[in-house]
Amino acid sequence: MATLHVLSHSPFTDSRLSSCLRIIGPDDGVLLCGDAVYALQQDSALQQTLERMPDSIGMYALQEDLQARNIDAGKRANAIDYPEFVELSCRFAKVNSWL
Amino acid sequence: MDCLTGQTMKFAIALFSPPHSPSSRRALRFAQAALSSGHEIVRLFFYQDGVHSASSSVVSNQDELDVAAQWRELLTTHQLDGVVCIAAALRRGVLNAEEAERYARNAASLEAPWELSGLGQLHEASQMADRLVCFGGN
Repeated sequence: MATLHVLSHSPFTDSRLSSCLRIIGPDDGVLLCGDAVYALQQDSALQQTLERMPDSIGMYALQEDLQARNIDAGKRANAIDYPEFVELSCRFAKVNSWL
Repeated sequence: MDCLTGQTMKFAIALFSPPHSPSSRRALRFAQAALSSGHEIVRLFFYQDGVHSASSSVVSNQDELDVAAQWRELLTTHQLDGVVCIAAALRRGVLNAEEAERYARNAASLEAPWELSGLGQLHEASQMADRLVCFGGN
């Protein structure tokens, strides 16, 4: 049962993302939106952690939130739009929002 | 896998955050994209501060996105089932005409297409839908 984990809080102000990464399954995915896209800030410790995640874990970020914060998705993450967000939520068996 | 890309899915969408939060805009855009992609939305459930998005009293600045109006339009256009948690709504002063009369309040701010009902409707929606997608927080 692969799960898409949706995060929207900045990883620099709380521990949702680190908790998520601790329990994430091998075929799960991570979608960063809102302030959570700051996890992809270049050369940050978190970005390096994300890059070291196994290839089987899909890494996604909402394009409009990246753009609003002038952050590059980098090599590891895929920038997606809303239709792709919908498609991802179909592809994964569950969508878990870290509210 | 119980799902193949391209298949029509049934979505239930729950919103926990107020209309001025970024996540309520994301919920709206997600709902619009789901319908545009040919999927079905079996129910929208507004809970906690999300109930304010169903209020007809919300006024947005002219140069800002009017989330409450867009939800209303989406519900009306696609004849969606929009349920607002009654306990969450009453404590925030979001009352329909029936509740305003029951509690002797001077104004109602919740109208059709929205309905006030209980949390059981969220549980039922999650049973009816293939996917429950929740929006809240930031």
